[in-house]
Amino acid sequence: MAVAGAAGCSPRRRPRLNVYNWSNYVAPDTIPGFEREFGVQVRYAVYESNEEMLAKAMTGNCGWDIVFPSNYIIQPLREYRLLAPLDHTRLRNLDNLDAPFRSPSWDPQLQWCIPFTWGAAGILWRHAAPFRPKSWSDLWDPRLRGRITMLDDPAEVLGACLKKLGYSINSTDPRQLAAARREAIAQKPLLRAYLNAEVRDQVVAGDVLAAQAWATIAGQASLSSTGVGFAFPEEGFSLYADNAVILRESRRAELAHLFLDYLLRPEVAAAIVEATRTATCNGAAHRLLDPALQSDPVLHPPPEILRRGEWFEPLPAAAQRLRDRIWTEIKAA
Amino acid sequence: MSRLLGLYAAVVYAFLHLPLLVLAVFSFNASRFTRWEGFSLRWFRAALTNTQMAEAAWNSLLIAAVSTCASTILGTLAAYGLWKRRSRLLSGSLYLTLLTPEIVTGVSLLVFFQWLFRFPGLQLGMHTVILAHITFSIAYVTVVVLARLRTLDPSLEEAALDLGAPPWQAFLRVTVPLIQSAIAAAALLAFTVSFDDYVITSMVAGVDSETLPMVIYAIARRGASPELNAVSTFIVTALGALVLISERLRGR
Amino acid sequence: MATGRRIAVLSLSFDRLCRLPALLTLAALFLAPLGVIAVYSLLTRGAYGGVELPWTLENYARLWDPLYAAILWRSVWIAAVSTALCVLLGFPLALFISRSGPRKNLYLLLVILPFWSSFLIRTYAWMFLLRDTGLVNTLLLAFGWIRQPLPLLYNDAAVILGLVYGFLPFMVLPLYATLERMDKTLLEAAADLGARPLDALFRITLPLSLPGIRAGAVLVFIPCLGAYLTPDLLGGGKSVMVGNLVQNQFTTARDWPFGSAVSLTLMAMVMLLLMVAARSKGEDLL
Repeated sequence: MAVAGAAGCSPRRRPRLNVYNWSNYVAPDTIPGFEREFGVQVRYAVYESNEEMLAKAMTGNCGWDIVFPSNYIIQPLREYRLLAPLDHTRLRNLDNLDAPFRSPSWDPQLQWCIPFTWGAAGILWRHAAPFRPKSWSDLWDPRLRGRITMLDDPAEVLGACLKKLGYSINSTDPRQLAAARREAIAQKPLLRAYLNAEVRDQVVAGDVLAAQAWATIAGQASLSSTGVGFAFPEEGFSLYADNAVILRESRRAELAHLFLDYLLRPEVAAAIVEATRTATCNGAAHRLLDPALQSDPVLHPPPEILRRGEWFEPLPAAAQRLRDRIWTEIKAA
Repeated sequence: MSRLLGLYAAVVYAFLHLPLLVLAVFSFNASRFTRWEGFSLRWFRAALTNTQMAEAAWNSLLIAAVSTCASTILGTLAAYGLWKRRSRLLSGSLYLTLLTPEIVTGVSLLVFFQWLFRFPGLQLGMHTVILAHITFSIAYVTVVVLARLRTLDPSLEEAALDLGAPPWQAFLRVTVPLIQSAIAAAALLAFTVSFDDYVITSMVAGVDSETLPMVIYAIARRGASPELNAVSTFIVTALGALVLISERLRGR
Repeated sequence: MATGRRIAVLSLSFDRLCRLPALLTLAALFLAPLGVIAVYSLLTRGAYGGVELPWTLENYARLWDPLYAAILWRSVWIAAVSTALCVLLGFPLALFISRSGPRKNLYLLLVILPFWSSFLIRTYAWMFLLRDTGLVNTLLLAFGWIRQPLPLLYNDAAVILGLVYGFLPFMVLPLYATLERMDKTLLEAAADLGARPLDALFRITLPLSLPGIRAGAVLVFIPCLGAYLTPDLLGGGKSVMVGNLVQNQFTTARDWPFGSAVSLTLMAMVMLLLMVAARSKGEDLL
């Protein structure tokens, strides 16, 4: 694809942009379209978790220009001075964003990030499962032994355990976190693996019967198979938003802004939703969507379900350290 | 008993070779599943047209070529130096590079480069991978060349020295030609080791320096893929050929 | 005399010049990095990653936690089992090669060839065979011997299989070298005295090949202990060994100080083993 784009360009080397994004977060023509229109070559690589991206971004010289952190990581990234401030004069399509995302709690003036997509974590399940999962505690059911997966994400796994115990997903109480840790370790013998987007194929293939998964993964799974369903757990679930940011180390701020502005175009964002089944923060794009997609209950849950959701929030350093340590212990147990 | 032994050997050889043979056979499978559905070259075609793989392969070749040149020179000189006089410091360090777990070498280089790069604003990239590869390849070269040197008659070089040649000339004009096949064998070995490295490379690679093993690992992690079978067959055949040549050169 | 020795030390003889580039390269790119992680192992992790003061011994103290001690212990156990299997499987093979007369080089080549082809791909080959939709399960299902795919992958057994497969040549080659050098006349004498071949094997060949077994065991045990790729791909992240813990701490967990402490502990275990083994070393490679 990159070769086809290069065919129409000048023999001199085109400017480069390095974009590091979640897997399955763009439509097939999103990147080539940008390359064609602006005569740029984009190096596009994907990651499966915030931690994978952070491991590179935290070094301060990883070489990526644009990454897509989740909302609760924006503040720490700012504190570590890893983000470049956004120049709104270069982002003419900013108003396409949906009203709630024009001044989100994690960046009220949108100085540092552009909300890109949002979603919830729930239970992706196969109709072949012995029962229909409705709550997080169903993922601890021995009938599903060996066919359960959880997300490879400390915030999500601890979040599910905390919700199962009736606490907030943003809890900083060491006792609550210790209880959550016990739950997670108790679940390990029943668990097949910790998987993020990779679980989609395993659910479609029938290897996994119930998985903690993001709604977008469920949306993609339903494209390949009709035997899957998605449940928003009764105890409550987590809400997140992934945002595009420009790293401070980037020396291509102008090009980066062009790319962000391109992503804000309604037709581009709408194409991404259609291809990846994720909920977009772009209101103008949302209105371009097929009505069936607009009312898809998995991607856009109705208000009474949405009420049970809780947004992730950044945590104080000590609590974050504790959670990271607990996660290492859970994985190592 | 020798019949039993022969039978046993056959079983073990099968164990050693079947997995790769099976992989090779299935890379010609028309279906993407493990049911045989006919002979086909489609996966080879798919692998060849995969731009990510092509770029990664090119990176791997470039890195292997440069690091092989450097490590062969450094390793040959080191072997010669060790042949002339033992040095526990050098021998010990070389042993250490061979025996240190790869993950430890990889993370220590990552930490080292990131610490070094803070000031000049450098980044991880092809150069860091090449430096890392040189580091672990030297020992392989030294082992091979030193083994050959130890079978050499030292009087040949001494004769050159007696005739008035300076030591470096005696080395270049007499010793090197005598061991050139061993040097070539060592170079091929270093190339193989560099081309195949995953663990150390993954720790010190940058944005633009994705190597073929890194691509293979990423695909393998996600599950099997028939293109991967095709690439694997190709690599195993190529590296196997290099090793064969290397062994012939060593005079086994 | 003292002066002469001092001059010899300071002079840049040609052979010293030859050793210097490699030595400098290793000092800069191998020893120095190890020094840096030694320093990092005594620092503290930042809230989201990175390193900062204060100095602390906490990273090493954490290793005494039963959780991590269990990982260290499991690594030792898996490495030990793999090594034992390599000895059991490798000894008869080495014996066979040493007695195979004119075809020795061919048989040796057949052992060396897979070993150098590509460790990553050889590990992937086992993934291809053992997965739920892999060849083994497909065949077993096709023959009707099982009704559900067997979970052959993602457990300790798969890791041990992968390690034995990967490092068997490391055992066979030194064993073969020892058996080659053995005095064949001893066996002839035993036969003359009426001993059965099996007796001769256990009472002559085996004891004499112990140095080779020791050398091979060390060569296999050490990389198995520090294995990363095999438990990662074949263990599926559930069979956590020390190598996985180290890699994890330097990537997604972003705890470089702790990861450094674990790395150095692993190095210490390797060095300890080497010192124990050095007393019974065979031929020097370097």
